[in-house]
Amino acid sequence: MGLTQALFFTFAALALASALSVVFTRHTVWAAYLFVAHLLCLAVLYACLSAPLVAVLQVMVYGGAVMVLFIFAIMILDASVLGRLDWRQEALQAGLSLALGLGLAGLLFYVLDRHAPALALANPVSASADLGRGNVAALGRMLYTQYLLPFEVISVLLVVAAVGILVMAKRKLED
Amino acid sequence: MPIEFTLGLAAAIFSVGAAGVTFRRDPLVLFMCVEMMFNAANLALVGLSGYFGLLDGQTMVFLVLAVAAAEVAVGLAILIAIFRVRQDVDVDHVSELRG
Repeated sequence: MGLTQALFFTFAALALASALSVVFTRHTVWAAYLFVAHLLCLAVLYACLSAPLVAVLQVMVYGGAVMVLFIFAIMILDASVLGRLDWRQEALQAGLSLALGLGLAGLLFYVLDRHAPALALANPVSASADLGRGNVAALGRMLYTQYLLPFEVISVLLVVAAVGILVMAKRKLED
Repeated sequence: MPIEFTLGLAAAIFSVGAAGVTFRRDPLVLFMCVEMMFNAANLALVGLSGYFGLLDGQTMVFLVLAVAAAEVAVGLAILIAIFRVRQDVDVDHVSELRG
């Protein structure tokens, strides 16, 4: 087993464990830090899957920008004062969400299992190592030619989001 | 990396995120769980991109990242706006739009 594979399996286990602990921890701040750990584990997985640009973007966008937003929101909201439900309601909610999670996982794994032979027959590139080389240039070219329209739509979306947030924040000052 | 393992991991993380959305009542953790589901989809895209030797999957991940960042920013702004009006963030209590 190579180093890449060992790294991949280690961080896959860590990613799943941190995802589960985000759901089960009662502290919002702990959940935020476990969520960062989860995102960084995923960045390592992307690097192992020969997607270095996506790994760097993951660290920058999620580990940086999204995380700062979450920490800011936690500071403003003081969400740790959430009241407890009574235990019957809480148990019902936990049971329903467990059933949903297990059902969804079962469905996804069933589909995966059924399509695994077709996936193996799809004649893949056996060594994806050369995908990593020249990755950034090739990705950029693809983004500005084949995926130009989605790219432009996304830039419009980001502007709309920024303006929307400003309007939402400003209206309170006028009142 | 075996592709089945990558896709299985993505499926597992997606299910954990979906269960978390229904389990938790703290809107911040709900957002984290939604992001987790986004990330599971991204992981599947990157894995398949490497498997088939095509860059299309990674390009889509780039677009998904941008949409997810915008979604978090708008969502948290709405959350803070709700908190300013009500001083309360329990998602069970914000039920004025219930039919």
